[in-house]
Amino acid sequence: MEMVASPKKIQRIHPKKFALWMAMLSMIMLFSALTSAYIVQKASSDWLQFPLPQQFFYSTAVILSCSIVLHVAYKAFVDKNYQLYKLLLSLGFGLAVSFVALQYSGWLILNEMGVFVYTNQSSSFFVLLVGVHALHVLGGIAALLISWIFAMRKNTMEWSQKGQLRLELTCTYWHFVDVLWLYLLGFLWLQQ
Amino acid sequence: MADINVLEKEVPQTNYDGHHDDHHGDKFQSSFIDRYIFSQDHKTIAKQFLITGMIWAIIGSAMSIIFRLQLGFPDSDMSWLQPLLGGWIQINPTTGLGSIDPQFYYALVTMHGTILVFFVLTAGLSGTFSNLLIPLQCGARDMASPMLNMLSYWFFFLAGAVLFISLFLNTGPFSGGWTGYPPLSGLPQASDGSKAGATLWILSLVFFVVSVLLGGINYITTVINMRTKGMHMFRLPLTIWAFLVTAILALLSFPVLASGFFMLTFDRVLGTSFFLNEIFVAGEVLTTRVGGSAILFQHLFWFLGHPEVYIIILPAMGLVSEVLSIHCRKPVFGYKAMVFSILAIGVLSFLVWAHHMYMTGMNPFIANIFILFTLIIAVPSAVKVFNWIATIWGGNLRINSASLFAIGFVSMFISGGLTGIFLGNAAIDIQQHDTYFVVAHFHIVMGVAAFFGMFAGIYHWFPRMYGRFMNETLGKIHFWGSMIGAYAIFGPMHYLGMAGVPRRYYSFENFDAFAGFASMNQFITIAAIATFFCQILFVINFFYSIYKGKKQTEMNPWGATSIEWTAPVNCGHGNWEGDIPEVHRWPYDFGRHGRDFIPQTEPLADGEIDGGH
Amino acid sequence: MGFTIGALCTILLSVFIVQIGKARELASIVRNDPAEQDEINKFQAGLGMIFMVVFLVACVWSFYHYIPTSLGWGSNIAASVHGPEIDYLFNLTLFFCFIVFVLTHIALFWFVWKFRGKQGKVGLYWAHNEMLEMVWMIIPSVVMTFLVIGGLQAWNNIMLDFPEDEGYYSVVLPDEGNEKQYIEIEATGSQFEWYIRYSGRDGKIGTKYFTQINDKNQLGQTWSDEKNMDDFIASEIVLPVNKQVRVRITSRDVLHNFYIREMRVKMDAVPGMPTYFHFTPTVTTDSMRRRLKNVPEWQVPHRNDNTKQRWEVFQYELACAELCGKGHYGMRKIVKIVSEEEYLEWLDKQEGGSLVENVDSTNANSVSYSFEKGSVKSKYFSYFKDGEKEFNPVVDKIDNIEHLVENKLLVAMCVDQMSTLRSSSEEGSDEFNTAENALAELKPLLKAARLYTVDQVHDSYDNLNKARGIVKAAVVEKNTVDPVTTVPVDTTAL
Repeated sequence: MEMVASPKKIQRIHPKKFALWMAMLSMIMLFSALTSAYIVQKASSDWLQFPLPQQFFYSTAVILSCSIVLHVAYKAFVDKNYQLYKLLLSLGFGLAVSFVALQYSGWLILNEMGVFVYTNQSSSFFVLLVGVHALHVLGGIAALLISWIFAMRKNTMEWSQKGQLRLELTCTYWHFVDVLWLYLLGFLWLQQ
Repeated sequence: MADINVLEKEVPQTNYDGHHDDHHGDKFQSSFIDRYIFSQDHKTIAKQFLITGMIWAIIGSAMSIIFRLQLGFPDSDMSWLQPLLGGWIQINPTTGLGSIDPQFYYALVTMHGTILVFFVLTAGLSGTFSNLLIPLQCGARDMASPMLNMLSYWFFFLAGAVLFISLFLNTGPFSGGWTGYPPLSGLPQASDGSKAGATLWILSLVFFVVSVLLGGINYITTVINMRTKGMHMFRLPLTIWAFLVTAILALLSFPVLASGFFMLTFDRVLGTSFFLNEIFVAGEVLTTRVGGSAILFQHLFWFLGHPEVYIIILPAMGLVSEVLSIHCRKPVFGYKAMVFSILAIGVLSFLVWAHHMYMTGMNPFIANIFILFTLIIAVPSAVKVFNWIATIWGGNLRINSASLFAIGFVSMFISGGLTGIFLGNAAIDIQQHDTYFVVAHFHIVMGVAAFFGMFAGIYHWFPRMYGRFMNETLGKIHFWGSMIGAYAIFGPMHYLGMAGVPRRYYSFENFDAFAGFASMNQFITIAAIATFFCQILFVINFFYSIYKGKKQTEMNPWGATSIEWTAPVNCGHGNWEGDIPEVHRWPYDFGRHGRDFIPQTEPLADGEIDGGH
Repeated sequence: MGFTIGALCTILLSVFIVQIGKARELASIVRNDPAEQDEINKFQAGLGMIFMVVFLVACVWSFYHYIPTSLGWGSNIAASVHGPEIDYLFNLTLFFCFIVFVLTHIALFWFVWKFRGKQGKVGLYWAHNEMLEMVWMIIPSVVMTFLVIGGLQAWNNIMLDFPEDEGYYSVVLPDEGNEKQYIEIEATGSQFEWYIRYSGRDGKIGTKYFTQINDKNQLGQTWSDEKNMDDFIASEIVLPVNKQVRVRITSRDVLHNFYIREMRVKMDAVPGMPTYFHFTPTVTTDSMRRRLKNVPEWQVPHRNDNTKQRWEVFQYELACAELCGKGHYGMRKIVKIVSEEEYLEWLDKQEGGSLVENVDSTNANSVSYSFEKGSVKSKYFSYFKDGEKEFNPVVDKIDNIEHLVENKLLVAMCVDQMSTLRSSSEEGSDEFNTAENALAELKPLLKAARLYTVDQVHDSYDNLNKARGIVKAAVVEKNTVDPVTTVPVDTTAL
């Protein structure tokens, strides 16, 4: 926090970036509440374990790759390397959608194993955590879609301050849901 | 007066540190829809919040009048309400007397609580004043993201629309209390009011959570990141400190409520048992619904619920500090202490939630911790009260509607706050839990004190919003009517609570111990009706004054020091024509050096020390 | 019609007030008098002072007027051992809070008057004072500390449950002065009535599980658990005065709350999670009635029966204190606090013919039995396994209970006989004295008979013979009454 009113320019984080961090903070609170409830319930009720299907590890790899791809895409945009940027953005978008698809398929495998949302507290919480995360990923996909549309249209494809900010925010958010997924996966895996 | 079409002009939009804002003037916002419906101007959004909040306040209070009629005059004929309430008025076949259906009574009580706590006192209070004052008092053209701000209002509107629809359902709106505890709320078969009404209630509140979060993000970012040059944190008016901490509380606690609602929805729709365990209801054994805990919901709910009440009261406190100081022509006493009290209240508010749950069978040892923190949180609140009273000492008090309500706030906060001490002490709560003592306590602090803070703010900042003044005579009648009326309504309720009369009872006829208070209940109902009509006076005053109120002729009618009054009357989007003012001192230089007031924009003289240090 | 007139009057009144408001504002603009604000300040500050006086006087007056219904006063004394602790804390807090309330309100309104705005005056630039801040931070903290310490003590005292590993256990009637014994009853909330279950002769409440709930088994009692066999569901709560009681509180469906006002008892009922509250009633219903007889509010005719005054038909009441649906306000059960003797008598009545259960058994592998109302004879089926009868310890236990009840009734009859003899003879005569002495010996035997556990069934036979012996001796002495030999079962008493 600056203390002196001096004429020189103060370095500050851009307001919209700060706002995004605030939003992510609120999402962290949401998932903290859910994981706390998980811990409390696990301790006090009939808790049946079930193994995590491989799908969820594949989807982890996918979302990690997505983050990396988007990061490189961002770099490409800043360097005004438009071909690479468009390619990587499309790839990233595809990976993002695959993540959600893989999550869903993982859930279907669990169903085949006889694990449904209402089977036990453990499965209910599993759906809750994965589902609410997926909901936030869908939000990220919407943001990515907007970036992708801007990238594909001729008159908005070129570099601009505003465009860079938008892309940066989108990527930051993606890294966030990625890290969030890693946390959730680690949490679920450790609880077993 | 400044040209209201300042929107058409290209206004320089730089913030002091040089970079251009993203929205360049309002060439894109000149249509009616852009200016008044989907406005991204924080001042317009503030008005949207305010007026929507007022409409909901009327609806919510009218509901309370209806159920108070049932409580005060249980044997009277209510069939005259049939045109409005239709089948919800049951006609007794033998006596021919109409009375409210008990199911609907509980729906009214539930809606009253939900509407007033969330729509009026959270959206209508924080939403209005945070939006109005944060950019203006911090020295910013608008919020960090005007688009998200606009969405914040429209999600609130959507939440309201959904709840409004639920009022017309066949099975009725949700009737499980504004706290919505499962299993009652989690099992549609447990009550008619837990069917479609509960689904819509949850949906409405989820939209509401989105609205609050969108708003909160903006408020925090703008205060931290977009203050004008020279506006150090300790030069911010107390309103801004209050709104900042409120927004942080909201950001951290509303998601937890949302998590509880997700789980509740899963229970209702997907057959899970987060909150259900060993249930036999409506003649049916729910064999698969085991393993959950109804108390878990209460933890999640009150983790929001307690910060929520501070989200309600802190903005009111901020408004009152400002109004008192300006009209007393004196600095707020103990500015730093006030700031630290706000911060302390903010932090402590996260540590006391289970004092709403003393009687749930929790481990008594854990309750000890909550008792301790609950009684600790009384200390910063007391400090604030003493500081307000000390603010008046030595002042030159200009008494008008705004300052009257500020004074009334202090009285109400003392009265309501003191009864909180009884309830926080868990042993006393054994007897007082779920009685009218609790009802009296929270109504005085929230239903009256917070409202009074809101009124003080409306009367005081009305010129800033509409370039006119509200009528003073009506305002004073509004004040005295509300002050006397509110004490007349909620004072006696303490005695009902001390006598052990439980809350949320449709009728007291079944119990000898509770049936002896007929005249007291009548008195309360009559006082409630009278006070309600005083509020109608306020509403008339408000809307009339928008068009026909005494015009504001000078930019700073109250002689305030903060910079919201340096923007032109009826300024457009962007607030200041030309550069944003630079700030050199704290906002409480009243009576300093013998001068009536020194605005924040005036540079410090040689050797003069800023009052905030 | 009345509504229309009322609405019209209100609208007219509102319009009238609004017009006054407009007129005054116009007049003020026209006058343009800068000193006018001074007048307004004086008038409003004056109103404030008047309000302060009226308000504080009203508070004090209302306190005196309504104090009889307040905690620990008048008719609202606590009727339990822990109750006065709560009342004391409440009144202590009230004392401190009232002082703060009065002082701050006087300061607030008086300052408003004293420092009302006057033209030409400038406000005092007095922005902070560290010393004052410390003072008014420390004083509330100190007062809070007292309240917290007292509060924590009371809370922990009242709420900590009896620890089973420290030798606490439930019985039918706790011995005098034995702090580790308590009566246990179970209260189950449902939409919209309370089920109150007593533990019966063994002093233990049997297990239950919700999947077993059906029309004939409202609580889902597990019949294979022998502790259930003597349990009964009562239509009201009857408890002996000055004995520890522990309530096990559960719910069948949604949240409820077990609340007895006078005894300061309150605890949530959560489905699937039993909660407990222990208390000791100290004032019998009769005593309470005598006390209320002198209270004006209770001398009025009762609202449902105006031939009786309120105090005459006073009952302690169990109410629900957690919103549970549309019948929340009607979950009432009467609670009677009686003497030890009356409690045992009541138990007698419940025990002999209370339990009528038919556990549905389509499955031949389960036990089915029933106590027929009005008789102590039980009918039971043996446990069939592959078509053979087998010894069933559960059934055996039922048999023992029957014998205990039968023996108890017989001893009770001995007591009755001697009582009849006593009341039919003249005071001071030989007959009278004989009967007195016999009764003195018989009463402890009756008490024992009422409290014998299932394992003590043989002791109960000894006890019964002893009782018979006493009666025989008394009768032989007097030679007027036939000794008790046969036992007609008096079904009307049950």
